[in-house]
Amino acid sequence: MNSLIARAEEQAPEAGFGERIAENQRRVFQIAYSILGNAADAEDVAQEAFLRAYQKFGSLREAEKFRGWVNRIVFRLALNRQRGHRRRLTRDTAWQRTEAPTMVDGAKGAEQQVLLERLRREIERLPEKLRSVLQLSLVEEMDAANVGAMLGIPAGTVRSRLHTARKLLLEVMK
Amino acid sequence: MKDACEKWKDQLLEAALTGATTKDLEEHLRTCTICSRELDAVRARKVQLDELLPLVARGAEPPADFQAQVLAASEAASGPNRARQWRVWTLAGATAAIVVLMIGATMYWRATQTIPEDELAAAQKLTEWRAPSDALLTTPGQEILRTMPRLGESYLNVPVKKNEEE
Repeated sequence: MNSLIARAEEQAPEAGFGERIAENQRRVFQIAYSILGNAADAEDVAQEAFLRAYQKFGSLREAEKFRGWVNRIVFRLALNRQRGHRRRLTRDTAWQRTEAPTMVDGAKGAEQQVLLERLRREIERLPEKLRSVLQLSLVEEMDAANVGAMLGIPAGTVRSRLHTARKLLLEVMK
Repeated sequence: MKDACEKWKDQLLEAALTGATTKDLEEHLRTCTICSRELDAVRARKVQLDELLPLVARGAEPPADFQAQVLAASEAASGPNRARQWRVWTLAGATAAIVVLMIGATMYWRATQTIPEDELAAAQKLTEWRAPSDALLTTPGQEILRTMPRLGESYLNVPVKKNEEE
């Protein structure tokens, strides 16, 4: 009887989905957060990525497949949202130049918050190729091979771009 | 940094990042206090950068109930879809059943149908029907038309009917 229930659960569309969320949520959230720099937006985007994964869960049951797919989709969604933010900011600042600085989550102390905010701005100024590699490399469990697989570039290129990005940041963060 | 030391800038950054210095740079550092101080400053910045960079991605955690939220949202999103799918399949099934019933009823009706005797006889007569003869289709003046002279012939040669001679 128990095996019958287990089999029925396996065949149900949502079976195993909770497990996949538990395995991936931290990394997916971090990918979104590294790009957006805001916990609320990162949560929204991560949730949307999982909802899209749920709709395609029939073909994403394998853990490795799910992981790669959800990484790519959250990255793309976060970039889209960031572009939207930038467009809005450009439009708004055309009328109103003063805007309250956004608080950065997770930083200890005001000084670190200021530095982190500055670092984020400098990362934003990096060329897109370097920025993507850097942002993804900062996420836990994302080594050069994983980042390369996501961006469609060899792991050696990832390491080289990461080095260049760090060098540029080191130069500008005086 | 002096203009003369500008050319060492890249090597200083590399030295801070990799922890290794080239022979040329080492020799230069022995004689240049400005570059030595700059290297210390870049190394300090590197330590700071190493502390800050992980916070860019790991500065926040997903909420504790994130999994529950996603599951609830996915359930809510899939509810209407499932209902819609169920309606579509029900409608398709009902349509197929009606079509099958109609075909079955037609076939049964045809199999049980008998033709009445009088209708059979009429049909038989219809098969024996022949078209009326040309005599019935003759028109007045047809003979005159037939005796009209052709181009170059004389009307005098037109044969006259016997009853007209009398």
